[in-house]
Amino acid sequence: MRKGVLLSLTLAATAVTALIAAPPFGTSVTFSQAASMMTRTAVSVSLLFVWILAAVVLTLMSGREIRYSSIELRTSPLHCFALGLVAVTSFVLTAILFSYLIPFVVGIPLLVALSVFAVLTKVYGTIAVFHAVGTIVAGTRSRDEMARRRWLRGDLAMVVIGVLLLGAIRLIPVVGPIVWGLASVFGVGTALATKFGRREPWFLVWRPMGSEL
Amino acid sequence: MSDPCQRYAEDPEANAAHLRECAKCRGIYAPIESQAVRVDALPLAPWEGAGHRSWPLVFGGALALLAIALGLCAAAGISLAAAIRAGAGLDWRATLAIASNAVRPLGPIGFAVLFVLVNTLLVVLLRRSPRGIDA
Repeated sequence: MRKGVLLSLTLAATAVTALIAAPPFGTSVTFSQAASMMTRTAVSVSLLFVWILAAVVLTLMSGREIRYSSIELRTSPLHCFALGLVAVTSFVLTAILFSYLIPFVVGIPLLVALSVFAVLTKVYGTIAVFHAVGTIVAGTRSRDEMARRRWLRGDLAMVVIGVLLLGAIRLIPVVGPIVWGLASVFGVGTALATKFGRREPWFLVWRPMGSEL
Repeated sequence: MSDPCQRYAEDPEANAAHLRECAKCRGIYAPIESQAVRVDALPLAPWEGAGHRSWPLVFGGALALLAIALGLCAAAGISLAAAIRAGAGLDWRATLAIASNAVRPLGPIGFAVLFVLVNTLLVVLLRRSPRGIDA
């Protein structure tokens, strides 16, 4: 029964994807348009392969941190989204400010440092989003269910499921880039909210001498 | 305290029969007798089974993606490396120029105010402790 429902959903999703991705009925596609579409899809799938490699390596290196960030994303999605939006805006404004400093020597190293931090935040956060999506879709709800499963359990499996699912959505024209962009915003938010899964405060609390702890 | 009571206090499990015989010990220890915990009734913790590494899924997923990518690259007439370079490449100068032009109408003072506002909001949002596993 469950397999039947899953199969039907997969077929329905494929049909919807094909309908959205296909050119409108009655219009003809030139050879160059088809080639361009093929190239874009090839680029997207190639990048997905890089994403799955990065996700597997990072999850093997720091699975607990990815899991903590994923839990935070599922517990406080609105906070993560708001933080992600503000952080991305802050990155852009800070980059503009640093670009004014390029004529002086200090501008370029500051821009490089900012871009490295932004890329690391996005990559880490997006992998946490993969984990969250995988857990929402295929996570176990009970110990019996977990014991029955042979492959579909553990952080690594959740991350791979998330990559494949979001990757499939990424291939849908118009919708895919929007969903991927939203996932990036959520990712940046959850990476910063949990300090890359370490759950430490970003700022020390100032206490005057003699005050109670 | 008598010897049997002392022995029960020291090792309750080995002297469990004493609890049935001694009303005084029953009065003391019965209320705090621990109940067996039914683990299955507890909610599943996020870390349970998290360390399991399902390599067939990982290799299957990665190889499937690689095969599709190679097929599409071959059909499009480009190499995998070129496709990755094209996808990952970002013209940061152009992006920065677009962003810079977008905030130009604000003027220097408007930009400074926006910069301070956004970063203040960022600091305020970052001060909130993560809830996650405590929620």
